[in-house]
Amino acid sequence: MARDNIYLPYLMKVDGVRDETRDVRTLRLKFARDEDAAGFSFKAGQFGEYSVFGAGECTFCIANSPTRAGYIECTFRKAGRVTKALRDLEVGDTMGFRGPYGNVFPLESWYGKSVLFIAGGIALPPMRCVIWNCLDLRDKFKDITVIYGARTVGDLVYKDELREWGERPDMKLIQTVDPGGETPDWRGQIGFVPTVLEKAAPPSADTIAVVCGPPIMLKFTFPVLDRLGFARTDVYTTMENRMKCGLGKCGRCNVGAIYICKEGPVFTAEQVARMPAEY
Amino acid sequence: MARLLAKEKLGALIRGAMDKKYRVVGPAREHGIVLFGELSDPAALCLDELNTQNSVKEFFFPKTEPILKYALGKHDVALADDFAAPRTVLIGGRACDARSLVALDRLFGWDYKDKFYFARREATCVITLACDRFDEACFCTSLGFGPRAPEGSDVLLVPVEGDAYLVEVVTDKGGALVAELADIFTEGTPGAEKVAYPEKKFELAAIKPWLERNFEHPFWNEEFLACLGCGTCTYQCPACYCFDIVDEGDIHGGQRCKNWDSCQLALFTRHTSGHNPRPTQASRWRQRLSHKFAYYPGKFGYEACVGCGRCIRNCPVGLSILDKLVLIGREAAAAPAEPAGAQP
Ligand SMILES: Cc1cc2nc3c(=O)[nH]c(=O)nc-3n(C[C@H](O)[C@H](O)[C@H](O)COP(=O)(O)OP(=O)(O)OC[C@H]3O[C@@H](n4cnc5c(N)ncnc54)[C@H](O)[C@@H]3O)c2cc1C
Ligand code: SF4
Ligand code: FES
Repeated sequence: MARDNIYLPYLMKVDGVRDETRDVRTLRLKFARDEDAAGFSFKAGQFGEYSVFGAGECTFCIANSPTRAGYIECTFRKAGRVTKALRDLEVGDTMGFRGPYGNVFPLESWYGKSVLFIAGGIALPPMRCVIWNCLDLRDKFKDITVIYGARTVGDLVYKDELREWGERPDMKLIQTVDPGGETPDWRGQIGFVPTVLEKAAPPSADTIAVVCGPPIMLKFTFPVLDRLGFARTDVYTTMENRMKCGLGKCGRCNVGAIYICKEGPVFTAEQVARMPAEY
Repeated sequence: MARLLAKEKLGALIRGAMDKKYRVVGPAREHGIVLFGELSDPAALCLDELNTQNSVKEFFFPKTEPILKYALGKHDVALADDFAAPRTVLIGGRACDARSLVALDRLFGWDYKDKFYFARREATCVITLACDRFDEACFCTSLGFGPRAPEGSDVLLVPVEGDAYLVEVVTDKGGALVAELADIFTEGTPGAEKVAYPEKKFELAAIKPWLERNFEHPFWNEEFLACLGCGTCTYQCPACYCFDIVDEGDIHGGQRCKNWDSCQLALFTRHTSGHNPRPTQASRWRQRLSHKFAYYPGKFGYEACVGCGRCIRNCPVGLSILDKLVLIGREAAAAPAEPAGAQP
């Protein structure tokens, strides 16, 4: 079949399944056909349309780093029709993937600087891709700091990787849970991400900040970064408007004149501030 | 001398195309409504109404169409997407209908090319009828074109005195069809054109700048309270194209479909979290107007509106995009933009 059909997904085989939390799961996918794998590449920040035949498609970021090629990972929360069907898949099953779509984090332009990652809840997946990308090119960057918060200890995703990041001497990890979300043996912080960020007060000099989280978290985090002295052009985020096509056609994802699936999903805080309040 | 088609020969033109194995699509009366549809008989062609109820877009971008078929095995899936567009003559659309195709070409062709749309575009010869009348919902002239504009047509038939059409060949495809059916046409001196031009109702150049300045404005809440959010306006629109992608099938297999969707429906933009960036009907109307008159022209150089008036004639609560454009035109004239550089 010719690949002239822009809606045609690659056939993928589920190669691994990992439960992150009660309702969040990571799937590792391999291309069913070698020729598809050979022609495929992506960069940090891009997303795709993942599908279960019979249930439909839905949009997730690519959660693994492009430095670890040969497979695709997605981490998703069970929310509706397609995510439920994705959860029913087992290793060896066939599903679909279209992508990669969208723009990328301009990693090369960050070389020589420090990078501060700030993520809330299920928003760690889009960031995990960039974090591993930076860690796999560790000598290109100065300090690497991750601030990650979830509602409760049970909602923290990528627990094994968090442990690894916490133990690595070449980076700093600050974990937090919302007040009331802690367990008796919780050794991280307690508080909302913006508060924890303000208290940690990471230096802004020569530092890029990457922020991913629900709209409410972004709203409270940007002003803190302003106060800490970050230039808005040095603050990056990804936007997750409802999408269907990923191709700039279905007319769903725009904020004002900007089509998030084409011109995004990666934007600077300065670009976001110029958008109409429609996200 | 010019090429002419006697009005009484329209049927012969359709018959000729059918004999040459074209599918012929044109307006026909069905259950009392005039709709574009495949004609089985040239006599079914019905030109009583100014505009059909449906637009021509569904013959290029159907309400629902499979974009792939899947067959499910135990662990495997087989995909197929075989598709062939029938050779078609589309006759009896208006200049506004034809122009909508030019607008849609931009969307389906930019960056990623939608092969389903373009296969149909390439397989279809568009024969347009210039208008000899208009009604109060028509506003093509306000959009900078008019009832005999050739854009998007392959052949344009202009009514002239003497019960005939002046035949204007617009594209090579149109020329080839006219040559194929040469014996139906005559050569002669055309009578005076009988084209009716609606009066211009607003200043198009003022609309986009006003929309860009007034994302927040009481206008949005005040003017659109009556809207039911039914989506009729967008489904009837020849230039609206929002779609959804949906699977349908059973345990053995099925198809993935591209289905019309509408920015006027409340769930259109709702996030999985429940957060909706366009929570009110006013915000959805703002999207509709801004998309048609600011975002789309900004990106593609074309309004995503052709002034056909279908949305106005069919809105259950009588909302008129034309009235709103006239209002915006007035607002813009009353409060012109600061000259560039004067803004803070
Ligand atoms: C660029 C981008 C990246 C993203 N990355 C990720 C990611 O990495 N991980 C992730 O988990 N998500 C991500 N998302 C969000 C993700 O796309 C959605 O969660 C997903 O599409 C949900 O699909 P679904 O079919 O399971 O849900 P749907 O069936 O569409 O349901 C969505 C919501 O509607 C509700 N609903 C469903 N059916 C009905 C009904 N009949 N009536 C009323 N309400 C109903 C559900 O309860 C749910 O809240 C991303 C989104 C974007 C745009
Ligand atoms: S047809 Fe009328 S009521 Fe229905 S969505 Fe459009 S403007 Fe609103
Ligand atoms: S997701 Fe379809 S246009 Fe952006």
